[in-house]
Amino acid sequence: MTSETETTGARVLVVDDAATVRLYHSSLLLEAGFRVDEAANGLEAVEAAMATPFDLFVVDVNMPKMNGYTCVETLRSETVGTEAPVLMISTEDRPGDADRAYAAGANLYLVKPVSGDRLVRIATMLTAGKGMSA
Amino acid sequence: MNPLLAQFLAEANDLLASVDEGLLQLERDPGDPELVNEVFRAAHTFKGSSGLFDFPELTRLTHAAEDLLDAVRGGRLALDSGMADDLLAAFDLIRGWLAHVTAHERLPASAGNDAAGLITKLRAPLGGEPVAHTQATVAAGIAVIDAAPEWLAWFHAEWLTETAAWLETTSSTMRFVRYAPDSDCFFRAEDPIHLIRQVPALDKLGIVQPEKWPAPEEYDEYVCLLSFVLATRASLGELEYLFRYVPDQVQIVELDAGAITRHLSGEPPLHVEEMITVAVTEVVDTELAADARAVLTAAHRALEINPADGAGLRAVAGTVAAAAQALGVPFDLTDADHAAVSAAVDRLLAEAAPAPAGILPTHPQPAAAHPQSAAAPAPAAAAPAEPAGRADDPGGQVGTRVLKVDQEKVDKLMELVGELNVAKNGLTFLADAAEEEFGSRVLSRRIKDQYAGLHRIAEELQSAVMDVRMLPLSVAFGRFPRLVRDLSRRLGKTIELVTEGEDTMADKDVIEALGDPLVHLVRNSLDHGIEPAEERIAAGKNGAARLTLAAVADGDAVIVEVSDDGRGVDPVRVKRKAYEKGLITEEELESLGDTEAVDLVFRPGFSTADQVSDLSGRGVGMDAVRASVEKLGGSVTMRSRFGQGTSTRLRLPLSMAVTQVMVVSVAGQRFGIPVDLVVETVRVPAAEMGHVLHQEVVVMRGEVVPVLDLARALDMPWNNDAGADRAILVVNVNGQRYGLLVEQFHREVDVILKPMEGLLAYADEFSGTALLGDGLVLLVLNMKEVLGLAARVA
Repeated sequence: MTSETETTGARVLVVDDAATVRLYHSSLLLEAGFRVDEAANGLEAVEAAMATPFDLFVVDVNMPKMNGYTCVETLRSETVGTEAPVLMISTEDRPGDADRAYAAGANLYLVKPVSGDRLVRIATMLTAGKGMSA
Repeated sequence: MNPLLAQFLAEANDLLASVDEGLLQLERDPGDPELVNEVFRAAHTFKGSSGLFDFPELTRLTHAAEDLLDAVRGGRLALDSGMADDLLAAFDLIRGWLAHVTAHERLPASAGNDAAGLITKLRAPLGGEPVAHTQATVAAGIAVIDAAPEWLAWFHAEWLTETAAWLETTSSTMRFVRYAPDSDCFFRAEDPIHLIRQVPALDKLGIVQPEKWPAPEEYDEYVCLLSFVLATRASLGELEYLFRYVPDQVQIVELDAGAITRHLSGEPPLHVEEMITVAVTEVVDTELAADARAVLTAAHRALEINPADGAGLRAVAGTVAAAAQALGVPFDLTDADHAAVSAAVDRLLAEAAPAPAGILPTHPQPAAAHPQSAAAPAPAAAAPAEPAGRADDPGGQVGTRVLKVDQEKVDKLMELVGELNVAKNGLTFLADAAEEEFGSRVLSRRIKDQYAGLHRIAEELQSAVMDVRMLPLSVAFGRFPRLVRDLSRRLGKTIELVTEGEDTMADKDVIEALGDPLVHLVRNSLDHGIEPAEERIAAGKNGAARLTLAAVADGDAVIVEVSDDGRGVDPVRVKRKAYEKGLITEEELESLGDTEAVDLVFRPGFSTADQVSDLSGRGVGMDAVRASVEKLGGSVTMRSRFGQGTSTRLRLPLSMAVTQVMVVSVAGQRFGIPVDLVVETVRVPAAEMGHVLHQEVVVMRGEVVPVLDLARALDMPWNNDAGADRAILVVNVNGQRYGLLVEQFHREVDVILKPMEGLLAYADEFSGTALLGDGLVLLVLNMKEVLGLAARVA
């Protein structure tokens, strides 16, 4: 079990083109003590990841400019090469969607809406020991 | 309002606008895959975001729209205008709902009924209601308990049977609540009856009496002995919110038809004690374990699909290690290869036994073959004490890149900047007073230094605030695609609307004030300018007419042009009409050139349409457009080539917030005159003033300029010293130069013009008032009206 202080400051990048969803996810994570950055599409996410190392990515699937799958693939490619866990959260729940996410390099595929408690719980679990102590 | 909802409403507004625009473009260009995609994505985002709130009708309706658009996107359907109408109607309905949400934070009660018809229509081209797909998505966030608690027995079996049948047919679920108030609840200011009465969409209420009432002599009316069971169609969120102060006295379960049927057939019930255990103690650990298993299952699947190593494999190893840690079985997977990680996952999945079925009755067990089922949301019903989402939580405001600010706040800021300017200007008067009244040059100089610093800051502040007020012209253009579409349909004309330069920025007041004149011009074009398709084709033109709205910045002005390729203005007909209406004389009828003739349409009381149409204004013509544009400090010109089209050009100041005026005094009173009208100031010796007929004139560089006595025009008694030089302010109004005889010139000042209010609003000779630094109120003249007055008194 992780304590509050251990996870304080783990850096999360929330990627979603819908500002409302972004706000929802960010405020949940911020409240739980994460440091949160936001990106409105895959391209912005890749740019952000190249500038800053993140401990966790929360990525939407359907986005303009660069969709979630391509975004995660790029994050895992040699150009960026991030090893941080990636959560994909999508409205789509068709067979094969999750496999596509895993093939791209995501670590968990969740279907919207994800309850706030669950998102924070999983984020905390996956970033245990990451980030700087408060 | 909670910030998440506020954010949603702001986003929804943008989305609605882009859906509208996209659909209109699509109708014209149905094949454009990029457009389809854009509209689809907007609808999709809408559905996704609306799911965060308890607006089931909204989610259902946007979902239906999304499915239709998805079919268009996938090439399974061609978008026709009927579908476009339905889609537009759907989004119009949503717009109405959102207005209601803005005011009341919930959808109108009629939402379900209003949506039903549209959903059917939207689904019709797809072959009607889809198979359970809608239901699955809508219900995705809510876990359905499949074992009923024993207190369900308090409901009548007959009613339960009926309800189960109904739930079966509609494949829906119902929320059941047991509320057992503490016996001393009255002393904690809890009011069970009041709470129960607030339960929304209540279907059935049962009041449960104690097994045995106390003997009369022991009866204490301050002890609550009753408990309640109720069935409702309200959402879990609503119920959790309603009972948020008494969570430990309430159990909420969501049941489908199957659960009720099993209860009726006597299946062992889910024990209340167990429910409480789930809710209070075990819940965190078990859920964490379930999440850890979900991560492991995902890792298992990822390893199967992805034989690759590198960053992806190390990420999987990292998540597996984290999950192992959470399950209390730490694994070191640093630098482990594919096989080692796979082996660890298999071992962990085998070891981490699933939670006992009784404790987590609703949670699907993660199965390797269906990784996405492991991702189903946590069972909200199992933990009634804890709201499922934190959507209601007002905390945790996140900085977004764009701040949406109430207009009033910006207006208020601008007003304060104006007052700051006035206060600042007061310092110069203070400096003068320091020198003249108190004889201190040093103090005067220091005040002036202070003034210079303050002036710089005030100017920066002013330009910063003005910058905030700048909006793109797209705000003013935004309404036209829809307007043109609807009107052109009604008129049976085919019209293509082209907008250019929507990014051009102008002050919000200018943008707002631009709305009406633009609507008028566009309607004029549609109604009178653009011919029916047959007439166009007969004239050798393209059957589809083109209407262009263009904006371009020009120094500190913005030019907006409305042009069409319609029939243009017939100068002969215009002149004849003007003559019939007595606007021009017979000689003018002969002598006026085509350009001047076109200009006649701006004359008050002129209208070329033979009858008042349904579309264009009634009795309000181009003169109204000119008046409102001039009120903004702008000008309007029209160019037209008969048979080829008309173009109306509005020239407006970028900002109306600050006006530069020249201060002059007349008969001891000071007045302001907008600087952009002023050509020059001259002093003319009395002897050089001339007369043409009864009009005083002055000859300047060979040009004869009529001179008007401003004091007489304003009816202010003033006796000019006959021998003194005349102070004449030369202004240019509507291309004509006039000299204004004034008493004295003063300096130019930047002022914030306030409109005339109340009774003074009828004083047309003034365009507004401004407060000067010394506290004096300056009346700013409306030169056009003043010239009219001068002409009347002459």
